[in-house]
Amino acid sequence: MLPALRRCRPGPVPLPALAAALGPGPAPGLSPVPGLCPGWSPRAVPVRGRKTRHDPPSKSKAGRVKLPPPVDPEELLVVQERYRQYRLVLGALRAEFRAEVLQKKQEERLAAQDSVQELEEHRRLMAWNDEENARQQARREERARREEEEQKRRKLEVAEKQARKMKAFLEEKEKEVLQLQEEAKNFITPENLEARIEECLDNPQNYNFAIDKDGRIVKRTVLS
Amino acid sequence: MPRYELALIVKAMQRPETAAVLKRTVEALMERGAVVRNLENLGERSLPYKISKHKERHKRGGYFLIDLEAPPSIVSPMMEHLGRDIDVIRRAFLRHPLAKAEECSGIVPLSPGEKLQKN
Repeated sequence: MLPALRRCRPGPVPLPALAAALGPGPAPGLSPVPGLCPGWSPRAVPVRGRKTRHDPPSKSKAGRVKLPPPVDPEELLVVQERYRQYRLVLGALRAEFRAEVLQKKQEERLAAQDSVQELEEHRRLMAWNDEENARQQARREERARREEEEQKRRKLEVAEKQARKMKAFLEEKEKEVLQLQEEAKNFITPENLEARIEECLDNPQNYNFAIDKDGRIVKRTVLS
Repeated sequence: MPRYELALIVKAMQRPETAAVLKRTVEALMERGAVVRNLENLGERSLPYKISKHKERHKRGGYFLIDLEAPPSIVSPMMEHLGRDIDVIRRAFLRHPLAKAEECSGIVPLSPGEKLQKN
Protein backbone atom coordinates (compact mmCIF):
# COMPACT_ATOMS: atom_id res chain seq x y z
CA MET A 1 0.00 0.00 0.00
CA LEU A 2 2.80 2.36 0.84
CA PRO A 3 4.26 2.05 -2.65
CA ALA A 4 0.79 3.03 -3.88
CA LEU A 5 0.84 6.02 -1.53
CA ARG A 6 4.26 6.91 -2.75
CA ARG A 7 2.85 6.98 -6.23
CA CYS A 8 -0.10 9.12 -5.14
CA ARG A 9 1.99 11.86 -3.45
CA PRO A 10 1.88 15.08 -5.48
CA GLY A 11 5.12 15.22 -7.48
CA PRO A 12 6.51 18.05 -9.50
CA VAL A 13 6.32 16.31 -12.87
CA PRO A 14 3.18 14.82 -14.42
CA LEU A 15 3.73 11.26 -15.52
CA PRO A 16 3.11 11.34 -19.31
CA ALA A 17 5.61 14.14 -19.80
CA LEU A 18 8.11 12.22 -17.73
CA ALA A 19 7.52 9.11 -19.73
CA ALA A 20 8.06 11.03 -22.97
CA ALA A 21 11.16 12.64 -21.55
CA LEU A 22 12.68 9.37 -20.44
CA GLY A 23 11.85 7.45 -23.57
CA PRO A 24 11.06 3.76 -23.62
CA GLY A 25 12.59 3.13 -20.20
CA PRO A 26 14.83 4.66 -17.57
CA ALA A 27 18.43 4.82 -18.60
CA PRO A 28 20.51 2.15 -16.99
CA GLY A 29 22.61 3.51 -14.18
CA LEU A 30 20.00 6.12 -13.23
CA SER A 31 18.81 5.44 -9.69
CA PRO A 32 15.08 6.21 -9.51
CA VAL A 33 14.40 9.52 -7.68
CA PRO A 34 11.28 9.21 -5.52
CA GLY A 35 8.44 11.04 -7.10
CA LEU A 36 10.12 11.78 -10.40
CA CYS A 37 9.93 8.36 -11.98
CA PRO A 38 7.09 5.91 -12.60
CA GLY A 39 7.05 3.48 -9.65
CA TRP A 40 7.25 0.44 -11.94
CA SER A 41 8.86 0.02 -15.26
CA PRO A 42 8.82 -3.00 -17.53
CA ARG A 43 12.56 -2.98 -17.95
CA ALA A 44 13.86 -2.37 -14.43
CA VAL A 45 17.47 -3.34 -13.98
CA PRO A 46 19.05 -3.89 -10.53
CA VAL A 47 21.42 -1.00 -10.16
CA ARG A 48 24.10 -1.04 -7.48
CA GLY A 49 26.64 0.95 -9.34
CA ARG A 50 30.18 -0.10 -8.69
CA LYS A 51 29.85 -2.17 -5.54
CA THR A 52 28.47 -5.68 -5.05
CA ARG A 53 26.26 -6.67 -2.19
CA HIS A 54 29.20 -8.06 -0.28
CA ASP A 55 31.14 -4.78 -0.11
CA PRO A 56 30.78 -2.71 3.06
CA PRO A 57 29.04 0.67 2.92
CA SER A 58 31.32 3.69 2.44
CA LYS A 59 32.41 6.20 5.15
CA SER A 60 30.11 8.84 3.70
CA LYS A 61 27.20 6.64 4.73
CA ALA A 62 28.55 6.24 8.27
CA GLY A 63 25.90 8.29 10.07
CA ARG A 64 23.13 7.57 7.64
CA VAL A 65 19.86 6.94 9.30
CA LYS A 66 17.34 5.39 7.01
CA LEU A 67 13.89 6.61 7.85
CA PRO A 68 10.67 5.17 6.54
CA PRO A 69 8.83 7.28 4.08
CA PRO A 70 6.77 9.95 5.82
CA VAL A 71 3.09 9.24 6.08
CA ASP A 72 0.33 11.76 6.42
CA PRO A 73 -1.93 10.37 9.14
CA GLU A 74 -5.17 12.03 7.99
CA GLU A 75 -4.60 11.00 4.44
CA LEU A 76 -3.79 7.52 5.62
CA LEU A 77 -7.01 7.26 7.53
CA VAL A 78 -9.02 8.60 4.62
CA VAL A 79 -7.42 6.24 2.19
CA GLN A 80 -7.84 3.27 4.50
CA GLU A 81 -11.52 4.07 4.95
CA ARG A 82 -11.99 4.32 1.21
CA TYR A 83 -10.25 1.06 0.63
CA ARG A 84 -12.32 -0.64 3.29
CA GLN A 85 -15.51 0.48 1.71
CA TYR A 86 -14.31 -0.48 -1.72
CA ARG A 87 -13.36 -3.95 -0.67
CA LEU A 88 -16.60 -4.39 1.20
CA VAL A 89 -18.59 -3.53 -1.88
CA LEU A 90 -16.53 -5.78 -4.11
CA GLY A 91 -16.80 -8.70 -1.71
CA ALA A 92 -20.54 -8.26 -1.50
CA LEU A 93 -20.81 -8.14 -5.25
CA ARG A 94 -18.80 -11.31 -5.62
CA ALA A 95 -20.90 -13.11 -3.04
CA GLU A 96 -24.00 -11.94 -4.80
CA PHE A 97 -22.82 -13.23 -8.14
CA ARG A 98 -21.75 -16.53 -6.63
CA ALA A 99 -25.14 -17.04 -5.00
CA GLU A 100 -26.84 -16.20 -8.25
CA VAL A 101 -24.81 -18.72 -10.21
CA LEU A 102 -25.44 -21.40 -7.60
CA GLN A 103 -29.14 -20.66 -7.64
CA LYS A 104 -29.24 -20.93 -11.41
CA LYS A 105 -27.48 -24.28 -11.29
CA GLN A 106 -29.86 -25.63 -8.66
CA GLU A 107 -32.89 -24.54 -10.59
CA GLU A 108 -31.53 -26.13 -13.72
CA ARG A 109 -30.85 -29.39 -11.89
CA LEU A 110 -34.31 -29.45 -10.35
CA ALA A 111 -35.91 -28.61 -13.63
CA ALA A 112 -33.96 -31.42 -15.36
CA GLN A 113 -35.45 -34.07 -13.07
CA ASP A 114 -39.20 -34.43 -13.31
CA SER A 115 -39.45 -34.25 -9.60
CA VAL A 116 -42.64 -36.16 -8.87
CA GLN A 117 -42.01 -39.12 -11.15
CA GLU A 118 -38.39 -39.27 -10.14
CA LEU A 119 -39.27 -39.44 -6.50
CA GLU A 120 -41.86 -42.09 -7.19
CA GLU A 121 -39.45 -44.22 -9.14
CA HIS A 122 -36.78 -43.72 -6.52
CA ARG A 123 -39.11 -44.92 -3.82
CA ARG A 124 -40.18 -47.92 -5.85
CA LEU A 125 -36.63 -48.93 -6.58
CA MET A 126 -35.63 -48.54 -3.00
CA ALA A 127 -38.50 -50.77 -1.96
CA TRP A 128 -37.48 -53.36 -4.51
CA ASN A 129 -33.92 -53.20 -3.30
CA ASP A 130 -35.01 -53.74 0.25
CA GLU A 131 -37.04 -56.72 -0.78
CA GLU A 132 -34.11 -58.23 -2.60
CA ASN A 133 -31.91 -57.67 0.38
CA ALA A 134 -34.39 -59.33 2.65
CA ARG A 135 -34.65 -62.30 0.34
CA GLN A 136 -30.92 -62.72 0.12
CA GLN A 137 -30.67 -62.41 3.84
CA ALA A 138 -33.21 -65.15 4.29
CA ARG A 139 -31.33 -67.40 1.90
CA ARG A 140 -28.06 -66.66 3.57
CA GLU A 141 -29.40 -67.46 6.95
CA GLU A 142 -30.93 -70.65 5.70
CA ARG A 143 -27.65 -71.70 4.20
CA ALA A 144 -25.73 -70.80 7.33
CA ARG A 145 -28.12 -72.76 9.47
CA ARG A 146 -27.92 -75.77 7.23
CA GLU A 147 -24.15 -75.66 7.19
CA GLU A 148 -24.03 -75.41 10.93
CA GLU A 149 -26.22 -78.44 11.27
CA GLU A 150 -24.07 -80.26 8.80
CA GLN A 151 -20.99 -79.36 10.80
CA LYS A 152 -22.51 -80.52 14.01
CA ARG A 153 -23.61 -83.74 12.48
CA ARG A 154 -20.18 -84.36 11.05
CA LYS A 155 -18.53 -83.63 14.34
CA LEU A 156 -20.82 -86.01 16.10
CA GLU A 157 -20.11 -88.66 13.54
CA VAL A 158 -16.42 -88.22 13.91
CA ALA A 159 -16.66 -88.39 17.66
CA GLU A 160 -18.76 -91.51 17.46
CA LYS A 161 -16.36 -93.13 15.07
CA GLN A 162 -13.48 -92.33 17.35
CA ALA A 163 -15.30 -93.76 20.32
CA ARG A 164 -16.11 -96.91 18.42
CA LYS A 165 -12.55 -97.32 17.27
CA MET A 166 -11.29 -96.81 20.78
CA LYS A 167 -13.71 -99.38 22.11
CA ALA A 168 -12.75 -101.89 19.46
CA PHE A 169 -9.10 -101.35 20.17
CA LEU A 170 -9.58 -101.77 23.89
CA GLU A 171 -11.55 -104.92 23.34
CA GLU A 172 -8.80 -106.29 21.14
CA LYS A 173 -6.22 -105.57 23.75
CA GLU A 174 -8.37 -107.08 26.46
CA LYS A 175 -8.72 -110.24 24.44
CA GLU A 176 -5.04 -110.42 23.83
CA VAL A 177 -4.25 -109.94 27.47
CA LEU A 178 -6.68 -112.65 28.49
CA GLN A 179 -5.28 -114.99 25.92
CA LEU A 180 -1.79 -114.36 27.12
CA GLN A 181 -2.86 -114.97 30.67
CA GLU A 182 -4.27 -118.29 29.60
CA GLU A 183 -1.13 -119.25 27.78
CA ALA A 184 1.01 -118.15 30.68
CA LYS A 185 -0.17 -121.15 32.61
CA ASN A 186 1.79 -123.31 30.21
CA PHE A 187 5.04 -121.44 30.34
CA ILE A 188 8.23 -123.07 31.50
CA THR A 189 9.36 -121.92 34.91
CA PRO A 190 12.51 -122.86 36.80
CA GLU A 191 10.41 -125.24 38.88
CA ASN A 192 8.90 -127.28 36.10
CA LEU A 193 11.93 -126.99 33.87
CA GLU A 194 13.17 -130.51 34.47
CA ALA A 195 9.74 -132.01 34.04
CA ARG A 196 9.21 -130.14 30.86
CA ILE A 197 12.55 -131.23 29.48
CA GLU A 198 11.78 -134.84 30.23
CA GLU A 199 8.38 -134.50 28.69
CA CYS A 200 9.85 -132.86 25.63
CA LEU A 201 12.48 -135.54 25.14
CA ASP A 202 9.83 -138.19 25.46
CA ASN A 203 7.60 -136.74 22.74
CA PRO A 204 9.42 -136.03 19.51
CA GLN A 205 7.30 -133.85 17.19
CA ASN A 206 7.36 -134.46 13.48
CA TYR A 207 6.13 -131.71 11.18
CA ASN A 208 6.93 -133.52 7.94
CA PHE A 209 4.13 -134.67 5.70
CA ALA A 210 3.72 -136.10 2.23
CA ILE A 211 1.26 -134.86 -0.34
CA ASP A 212 0.42 -136.02 -3.83
CA LYS A 213 -1.18 -134.38 -6.81
CA ASP A 214 -4.65 -135.43 -5.76
CA GLY A 215 -4.25 -133.54 -2.51
CA ARG A 216 -4.02 -136.48 -0.16
CA ILE A 217 -1.87 -135.67 2.86
CA VAL A 218 0.07 -138.23 4.83
CA LYS A 219 1.24 -136.95 8.22
CA ARG A 220 2.87 -140.05 9.53
CA THR A 221 6.33 -140.22 8.07
CA VAL A 222 9.50 -141.94 8.97
CA LEU A 223 12.02 -139.89 10.87
CA SER A 224 15.50 -140.81 9.76
CA MET B 1 7.77 -108.49 23.97
CA PRO B 2 8.26 -109.96 20.52
CA ARG B 3 8.28 -113.69 20.19
CA TYR B 4 11.24 -115.60 18.99
CA GLU B 5 11.96 -119.16 18.13
CA LEU B 6 15.32 -120.59 18.95
CA ALA B 7 16.06 -123.44 16.56
CA LEU B 8 18.82 -125.58 17.95
CA ILE B 9 20.71 -128.49 16.49
CA VAL B 10 22.40 -130.28 19.32
CA LYS B 11 25.06 -132.97 19.12
CA ALA B 12 23.69 -136.52 19.09
CA MET B 13 24.16 -137.52 22.74
CA GLN B 14 22.62 -139.66 25.39
CA ARG B 15 19.48 -138.51 27.04
CA PRO B 16 20.88 -137.14 30.28
CA GLU B 17 23.47 -135.07 28.48
CA THR B 18 20.91 -133.68 26.05
CA ALA B 19 18.72 -132.85 29.01
CA ALA B 20 21.67 -131.04 30.59
CA VAL B 21 22.30 -129.01 27.42
CA LEU B 22 18.68 -128.00 27.25
CA LYS B 23 18.58 -127.15 30.88
CA ARG B 24 21.57 -124.87 30.75
CA THR B 25 20.33 -123.21 27.55
CA VAL B 26 16.94 -122.49 29.03
CA GLU B 27 18.49 -121.23 32.22
CA ALA B 28 20.81 -118.93 30.29
CA LEU B 29 17.80 -117.57 28.47
CA MET B 30 15.83 -117.00 31.63
CA GLU B 31 18.80 -115.34 33.22
CA ARG B 32 18.86 -112.79 30.44
CA GLY B 33 15.21 -112.04 30.94
CA ALA B 34 13.42 -114.20 28.42
CA VAL B 35 10.19 -116.02 29.07
CA VAL B 36 10.26 -119.54 27.68
CA ARG B 37 6.90 -120.70 26.45
CA ASN B 38 7.43 -124.11 25.08
CA LEU B 39 10.04 -126.66 24.25
CA GLU B 40 9.67 -128.91 21.21
CA ASN B 41 11.68 -131.88 20.20
CA LEU B 42 11.84 -132.56 16.49
CA GLY B 43 13.64 -135.80 17.06
CA GLU B 44 17.16 -137.02 16.54
CA ARG B 45 17.72 -137.02 12.80
CA SER B 46 20.57 -137.37 10.42
CA LEU B 47 21.73 -134.00 9.27
CA PRO B 48 21.23 -133.12 5.61
CA TYR B 49 25.01 -132.82 5.24
CA LYS B 50 28.04 -133.32 7.39
CA ILE B 51 28.66 -130.33 9.64
CA SER B 52 32.03 -129.59 11.17
CA LYS B 53 31.81 -127.70 14.43
CA HIS B 54 34.01 -127.40 17.48
CA LYS B 55 36.64 -129.70 15.92
CA GLU B 56 34.16 -132.49 15.27
CA ARG B 57 32.36 -133.85 12.25
CA HIS B 58 28.66 -134.42 12.88
CA LYS B 59 26.32 -136.67 10.89
CA ARG B 60 23.37 -136.86 13.29
CA GLY B 61 21.91 -134.24 15.58
CA GLY B 62 19.03 -133.52 17.86
CA TYR B 63 16.66 -130.86 16.61
CA PHE B 64 15.02 -128.70 19.24
CA LEU B 65 12.73 -125.71 19.05
CA ILE B 66 12.36 -123.23 21.92
CA ASP B 67 9.44 -120.76 21.86
CA LEU B 68 10.30 -117.71 23.83
CA GLU B 69 9.34 -114.11 24.45
CA ALA B 70 12.42 -111.96 24.77
CA PRO B 71 13.65 -108.41 24.31
CA PRO B 72 15.54 -107.92 21.04
CA SER B 73 18.71 -106.99 22.91
CA ILE B 74 19.03 -110.59 23.99
CA VAL B 75 19.69 -111.99 20.56
CA SER B 76 23.34 -111.16 19.96
CA PRO B 77 24.66 -112.10 23.42
CA MET B 78 22.70 -115.30 23.29
CA MET B 79 24.09 -116.23 19.90
CA GLU B 80 27.60 -115.67 21.18
CA HIS B 81 26.89 -117.74 24.25
CA LEU B 82 25.53 -120.61 22.23
CA GLY B 83 28.43 -120.35 19.83
CA ARG B 84 30.76 -121.04 22.71
CA ASP B 85 28.78 -124.12 23.79
CA ILE B 86 30.51 -127.16 22.33
CA ASP B 87 27.40 -129.27 22.33
CA VAL B 88 25.45 -126.96 20.10
CA ILE B 89 26.06 -127.56 16.42
CA ARG B 90 23.85 -124.87 15.00
CA ARG B 91 21.74 -122.09 16.49
CA ALA B 92 19.24 -119.71 14.98
CA PHE B 93 16.95 -117.06 16.37
CA LEU B 94 13.84 -116.58 14.29
CA ARG B 95 10.97 -114.23 14.68
CA HIS B 96 7.92 -116.25 15.57
CA PRO B 97 5.52 -116.36 12.65
CA LEU B 98 2.51 -114.36 13.85
CA ALA B 99 -0.93 -115.80 13.52
CA LYS B 100 -2.32 -112.97 11.44
CA ALA B 101 -0.51 -113.31 8.15
CA GLU B 102 -1.64 -111.13 5.26
CA GLU B 103 -3.72 -112.84 2.69
CA CYS B 104 -1.74 -113.09 -0.48
CA SER B 105 -3.70 -111.58 -3.33
CA GLY B 106 -1.49 -113.10 -5.98
CA ILE B 107 0.59 -111.47 -8.69
CA VAL B 108 -1.31 -108.58 -10.25
CA PRO B 109 -0.24 -108.13 -13.89
CA LEU B 110 1.04 -104.60 -14.50
CA SER B 111 -0.53 -102.46 -17.17
CA PRO B 112 1.85 -101.19 -19.89
CA GLY B 113 1.83 -97.72 -18.33
CA GLU B 114 2.87 -99.04 -14.97
CA LYS B 115 5.53 -101.14 -16.61
CA LEU B 116 6.97 -98.01 -18.17
CA GLN B 117 6.88 -96.17 -14.87
CA LYS B 118 8.54 -99.03 -13.04
CA ASN B 119 11.70 -98.63 -15.11
